[in-house]
Amino acid sequence: MPGPQPTYYAAVAPLVGEEHDMDTAIALTDVRKTFGTHTAVDALSFEIPRGTVFGLLGRNGAGKSTTIRMIMDIIRPDTGSIEILGRQMDGAVKDRLGYLPEERGLYPKMKVLDMLEFFGSVKGLKPAEARRRALPWLERLELADWKDKKVEDLSKGMQQKAQFITTVLNEPDVLILDEPFSGMDPVNQEIFRDLLLEINARGTTLIFSTHVMESAERLCNQIALIDAGHAVLSGSLASIKEKFGSNTVQLEFDGDGAFLESIPGIENMHRSKRYVEINMTEGHDPQRLLEIVTGRVQVRRFQVMEPTLHNIFIDQVGPGSDQETGAAERTNA
Amino acid sequence: MHKILMVLRREYFESVKKKAFWIGTLIFPIFIVGIFAIQILASVVSPDVQKQIGVIDATGEIAQPLADKLAENKLKDESARFPVEIIDAGVDFEETRLANVGRVESGDIYGLVTIGPDVDDKKNFRLDWRNIGDQATENALESALQDAVVGVRVDRSDLDLDPVKLRELTRWASLNTYQVTKGGETKEKGFEDAFIPTMIFVMMLYFLIYFHGYAMTRGIIQEKTSRVMEVLLGSISPNELMAGKILGIGLVGLTQVSIYLITGWVARTAANFWVNVGEMDRFLDTIAPAKLLAFGVFYLFGYFIFVSIFAIVGAACNSDQEAQQLQLPIVGCLMLPMMTTFYFVANPDSLAATVLSLIPIFTPMVMFMRISVLTPPLWQIGLSLLLMSGTVYLFFRGAAKVFRIGTLMYGKRPTVREIWRWAWS
Repeated sequence: MPGPQPTYYAAVAPLVGEEHDMDTAIALTDVRKTFGTHTAVDALSFEIPRGTVFGLLGRNGAGKSTTIRMIMDIIRPDTGSIEILGRQMDGAVKDRLGYLPEERGLYPKMKVLDMLEFFGSVKGLKPAEARRRALPWLERLELADWKDKKVEDLSKGMQQKAQFITTVLNEPDVLILDEPFSGMDPVNQEIFRDLLLEINARGTTLIFSTHVMESAERLCNQIALIDAGHAVLSGSLASIKEKFGSNTVQLEFDGDGAFLESIPGIENMHRSKRYVEINMTEGHDPQRLLEIVTGRVQVRRFQVMEPTLHNIFIDQVGPGSDQETGAAERTNA
Repeated sequence: MHKILMVLRREYFESVKKKAFWIGTLIFPIFIVGIFAIQILASVVSPDVQKQIGVIDATGEIAQPLADKLAENKLKDESARFPVEIIDAGVDFEETRLANVGRVESGDIYGLVTIGPDVDDKKNFRLDWRNIGDQATENALESALQDAVVGVRVDRSDLDLDPVKLRELTRWASLNTYQVTKGGETKEKGFEDAFIPTMIFVMMLYFLIYFHGYAMTRGIIQEKTSRVMEVLLGSISPNELMAGKILGIGLVGLTQVSIYLITGWVARTAANFWVNVGEMDRFLDTIAPAKLLAFGVFYLFGYFIFVSIFAIVGAACNSDQEAQQLQLPIVGCLMLPMMTTFYFVANPDSLAATVLSLIPIFTPMVMFMRISVLTPPLWQIGLSLLLMSGTVYLFFRGAAKVFRIGTLMYGKRPTVREIWRWAWS
């Protein structure tokens, strides 16, 4: 990307604390949160190693936002503990975090640069310093000409950029983003994906929630998959894929594939328009499958591969669940 | 502390940068200064106009003494203020009056005094004129007429009295300059002198507390609807946010009050310099420095007591409409003391006034009212300040709790009972 680069020093001045764990950015232990009779998060535990890109995955209403809000100390868990950068949450820890809530919010009547100054200053920066840091970001995201305009005069895409700048002015050790790509056009999605990876490369731990598996697949190296408030899976993406993926086959063919249902050794199948993704049961050889299908249909492509996150997701939390199901998002969480 | 200051700074500058703030701020002093200016202008400009008075006298005895009396009233250039034209009463004085009323209407004569034949009849004296609001002229005519009529009555009576002496005595009694004073040793001259300025100050208190309190509610609702609230809470604690907002908006109010007080002080100083009208003194007493100070102090307490409740309303509501409903009881609490002003100014030491002035939510206005009429016992003022401080503390604590829960609540507005439970949980 052209233009001057933002001054970005990741992980400046590590927090001074008694016993802080330099390897773990965030650790949740047995966290539980109920709203009235609804249990939003139940016995949730996972760890996020420092420096990773961590994806918090789950269906709408699975408890992702609640979990993130508890990490940010915006709501408090009923039981369980949350450690951030090896410590309990306090004002100093909060200053080391960046946060982009799912529902974005800016002051529509404020001028862009004034607003950035304000958001930087409530992260502990001096106002002048916040301004100084905001300018290169505005240049880089092509908002420099708008810095003295009111926020309400910005287009939606520009507001998304401004919102993003508010989260990184304090050069956070951990950047937490709740559904960061929702409502973004593909161009902005691409810009932000690159930015996030760049920020991560400089040492910031990145945590984001999403129900769009393709985003997670492209960005994450660590994930936790939660469903109904529980962690169903967690760990590095590589190890999870390995666990699921030794015998996944993608098959593209011409002809009637109905016979596939009757072939032994197929655990499940996911049909797409042009190909079928098949999970083989343990102990069954994909080569054997190839032999069977070549006799019945015209095979155009046969590929043994690791399963997509999409399919792991569906296997774990049920079919059709990574789409916008229209299930009411709980808004009080 | 840094974060509270940053929130305060934003609240303050975003407010005072708005045009609405300055318009709202300046209207009041302009209004007050306007009243001053008109009074000064009136006292400087209006006296130097001659006002021709026509007199129809059916007795034939009163017109001349009345004219003589009025002739004593002179303009600066020594010409008569009320030149008198004695109109012959003719056969029927009533007909003569009707024939001459047209001259009043055309402005040929300023006023037409008609005197019937029976000086003891209450309806015997009549003034036809257009400008019925001209109190000064009416007083001058009445007083001159008084003297003239008394003279005639004395002449007609059988009593052997020295008319000159009697006139002086009568004048003495009718001068009516000793008004019944309210509150013994205070400088207050009468009910209107105490009531009107007190009412103005109390209304100012009401508007200031209400406007800045409701600014809190509106600010919170805007931050909720623009979803900026959660972004903020990712950086600062709800307590810091609330404290920053309360102090920031408080400072906006204080700026406004300071502008008012300084205007008042300047007006007073200026009036002392340029105007030497006795009438003014009574008015100037109402903006004595001690009173202005009391106003500032009671404004601040009033703001701090009510802003917590307004913050609760903001945290509990999702729209201005909802907030309008929920704030009604607060407005009631603010209005009540205003409605009592009439009674309490007359009875500043009554039991009701004393009790109400010690109930913290009513204290700012009622106690200020009492102070501005008649200084209450110092222990009562001290006690009221103590009680208000305690209330501010309690309300802040409750508001902070409701704020923490309410700021992220969207959807249905919680009931008053739920809010109450949050506040004291």
